[in-house]
Amino acid sequence: MTPILTVENLIKTYPAFRLGPVSFEVKAGSIMGFIGRNGAGKTTTLKSILNIVHPDSGSIRYFGHELPGNERVVKQRIGFAGGAVDYYPRKKISDIIAVTRNFYDNWDDVAYRKYMDIFSIDPQKTPRELSEGMKVKLNLVIALSHKAELLILDEPTSGLDPISREELLEIFTALKERGVAILFSTHITSDLDKCADHITYIRKGGIVASDTMESFISCHRIHGEGSNLEEIMLCCEKEDYREKFAE
Amino acid sequence: MKNLLNKELRLSAHLLSYLFLAFSFMALIPGYPILLSAFFVCFGLFQTFQNGRETNDILYSALLPIDKKDVVKARYIFVCLIQIIAFILMAVLTALRMIFFSSAAPYANNAMMNSNPVFLAWTLLIFTLFNTLFVGLFYKTAYKFGKPFISFIVASMLAVCIAEISHHLPGLEFLNTSDRLPLQLMLMFFALVIFVIATIISCRTAQRNFDLLDL
Repeated sequence: MTPILTVENLIKTYPAFRLGPVSFEVKAGSIMGFIGRNGAGKTTTLKSILNIVHPDSGSIRYFGHELPGNERVVKQRIGFAGGAVDYYPRKKISDIIAVTRNFYDNWDDVAYRKYMDIFSIDPQKTPRELSEGMKVKLNLVIALSHKAELLILDEPTSGLDPISREELLEIFTALKERGVAILFSTHITSDLDKCADHITYIRKGGIVASDTMESFISCHRIHGEGSNLEEIMLCCEKEDYREKFAE
Repeated sequence: MKNLLNKELRLSAHLLSYLFLAFSFMALIPGYPILLSAFFVCFGLFQTFQNGRETNDILYSALLPIDKKDVVKARYIFVCLIQIIAFILMAVLTALRMIFFSSAAPYANNAMMNSNPVFLAWTLLIFTLFNTLFVGLFYKTAYKFGKPFISFIVASMLAVCIAEISHHLPGLEFLNTSDRLPLQLMLMFFALVIFVIATIISCRTAQRNFDLLDL
């Protein structure tokens, strides 16, 4: 089956940072956890695959089609939610939706009302009146109402309380079961322990591994680097500051 | 494009961009540099750009299923729409003043520029300065508007000064009289051509610059 998203040898160079080469695939009905510490290149990768940042080289294919030249069609079929981004904070949600819905050919008003009801979002409120968790849910409502087949989520659970995080993880799992693919960038690895099928680990701009969750964990367990994502990340990333200070 | 323009009008536009259209009525004030009315209309439009940065308007737009270049085109259309409304308002007020009050003392003895087709021509040139200097330069970064706006302020104030001085110069008195209407209308149409051509060029350049940007 054609992967929903294929990234191959993506490279982006900044004066003080080099991303890549980054390669991974996201399949339908799966959750790909994209992990790495702050500044590792997660957001730059996501921005590159959304064509908000221009990579120097590499290939990005959605549904088997190259992104350049097909951006309009591709964006009809994907949704994005970032934990820290909110749009038009003082406009009523109903007004934002009234404008947004016109851009999507597959917009489903019945589905929109259903998800607004499920997530208990009042359309008469403004985004600034929503909690951080509700803002993520609002972005999910928009994505689901236009029947997005791939959700690209940039740290959607960062800054949320444990209950909101748990709720979102339940939602992601339910969506996965309905065939929606999710690319979930986060540094809160415990969230992925509960829901991810695949893991892509990025460190200092380069991909360390991209594999199924089981293979990823077992491979690192064999090398004594931990038995869950947090332990593996800590083992790979932790710097010994005591030694550095002693120098 | 219809959807993007709808977004500009309903989500992106700051209320002041609409309210500052009322400055068009300054065209009737005698003894005042009435060209500032065009500047204030542009200042109202500036609020939309400032508001856009605060509300993540550009990122929201870039994520929509549209061609990225159309984000810029829609903004130019919105800016021109406001400017055209202001221009029409000023043109109607100018026509009323010239028909009914051309010999009224406050206008007949006005040392400053009266509203006439030359005033409308200068208005179009100030709008052109806004579209090329401010909007054009803004889309080089899509978030820095300090330098573009200062460039516009300096250029437009210079234009206001030149406009107010020019009709006092020997041989150029016709710029502020009511007896050389055909020549004044010709100048206005010439300014209109400059406005259209410069805005189209500026829009295309801004689209190219915006397309290359990493947001």
